[in-house]
Amino acid sequence: MKKGMTEDWLAVYIGLLIFALSLAGFFGGDLLGWAVTTSVWTSVSKALAPASKAYAALGGVASLLATYVFLLALLTLGAKALRLEPLRFAKGFTFVFFAGYLSWIAGSWAYIAATADKRAALGIGWSLNLTNEAGFIVALLAGLFVGNFVPYASSRIKEAIRPELYVKTGIVILGGMLGITAAEQTALATSMMFHGLCAIVAAYLIYWAVVYYVARQYFGFSREWAAPLASGISICGVSAAIATGSAIKARPVVPVMVSSLVVIFAVVELLLLPFVAQAFLYREPLVAGAWMGLAVKTDGAAVTSGAIAEALIRAKAAANGSLYQPGWILGASTTVKVFIDVFIGVWAFVLAWIWSAKIEPKPGEKVRAFEIWERFPKFVLGYLATFVLILAVAVAAPVLIPKAKSAMGQANVFRGIFFVMTFFTSGVVSDFRRLWEEGIGKLAVVYVLCLFGFIIWVGLAISWIFFHGVRPPLIQG
Amino acid sequence: MPEPKLAEELKKMQREPLLPIEKKLITRSILLGLFLVAVLAWTSQVLFRN
Repeated sequence: MKKGMTEDWLAVYIGLLIFALSLAGFFGGDLLGWAVTTSVWTSVSKALAPASKAYAALGGVASLLATYVFLLALLTLGAKALRLEPLRFAKGFTFVFFAGYLSWIAGSWAYIAATADKRAALGIGWSLNLTNEAGFIVALLAGLFVGNFVPYASSRIKEAIRPELYVKTGIVILGGMLGITAAEQTALATSMMFHGLCAIVAAYLIYWAVVYYVARQYFGFSREWAAPLASGISICGVSAAIATGSAIKARPVVPVMVSSLVVIFAVVELLLLPFVAQAFLYREPLVAGAWMGLAVKTDGAAVTSGAIAEALIRAKAAANGSLYQPGWILGASTTVKVFIDVFIGVWAFVLAWIWSAKIEPKPGEKVRAFEIWERFPKFVLGYLATFVLILAVAVAAPVLIPKAKSAMGQANVFRGIFFVMTFFTSGVVSDFRRLWEEGIGKLAVVYVLCLFGFIIWVGLAISWIFFHGVRPPLIQG
Repeated sequence: MPEPKLAEELKKMQREPLLPIEKKLITRSILLGLFLVAVLAWTSQVLFRN
């Protein structure tokens, strides 16, 4: 059977298509203004609206349906390219889209989402101050409920349960938004890129070595288990565990089992760390953002933790009189995570060479440098393309910055939708019953010990060293 | 084919002592990592804080 496209490339194509459509804004066009947006609401009838005023006549519900039909068509075509059964995917996607979006609407209820400065305008006396990113948390909880308590439903929609595809598409779109954010503060953006280098050093050289040592020396894990486990906990969760497993020629079952644990603990981190960051790091927002990228595993959980941390910290800072520009905290998380991802292929190559030349040498076996490219996370190319293009346009022609902002704002509507679907589907794949599975104890103990006893704190220390005292620009006026 | 059970897979695992090359990999990684963090922190101070 012919091999289908990879999720990575599909994410690049879908992300770039949405990005390209948004660029019509530079030429006076408005090709995405019909897409649905959600506001903080006290009356649900006012929760939804089209992104652009030019499409106001459409109304919220029609805009939601138009967005659904557009994404359904786009992603079902994508599913075909992935060699999935399109009809089954379409049914699953319908469930994912509406469950995710309804969660977002629920999380945008004023009593949950409104920030302190907006309560009077909304006519309410109190709120949880969680911003409408609370919808992401609601989507995650809804996904956890479906995945853990309604196994029949989750098996019926499994074709569309693709958190990696959704988050990678969201990251490609996010590149343009971060490009325009960076263009306005190039010095701060450069310093953030520089921190990305340090994240690579921490994840690959410090985290990996310590976790590998602990697993081998204190828990008696074999090399076949310890290496994918170290990569899963230290680098980038699922993709790193799989790349490492294949580099050291572990049996496929090993990285798969490690990955299932990675996903569960990434959700635990996602539910905890942004709130910890809000409580203790609201005066150091970029430390918090970088920390999410360094400490939370899997691309989906790390980047979406950045989004939640940004919403929570901006809300708390606003209550204290500091209105930070959006995008910087999420930008720090994304930059760190993307830098770490870029080196997975190189790291797998290094491990493959050490294993084949020094640890388990087999006559005639050679490691091909091409494997670096094979394992390179291709969605990073899409992210870089949108980031660099918008940054270059904005730096070369500052007069175009308002148009670029408006265009990226429209693309960003879809980034939000892809993120909310990431949250929902991440919940569905996190099967907590695995934690009660016989034999999981030893694996889980290494994971918990290394993640909560070491990685989180080293990640915090490194983020602190590089970002303490550096704050996002304030919103003027 | 039945799905492999984690408990069984872990039971199959045999204890393998750390090889000198593994010890070297661990020690050199950590030392290089700490050195590079120090260099990058210093560079960051010079480039972005002054």
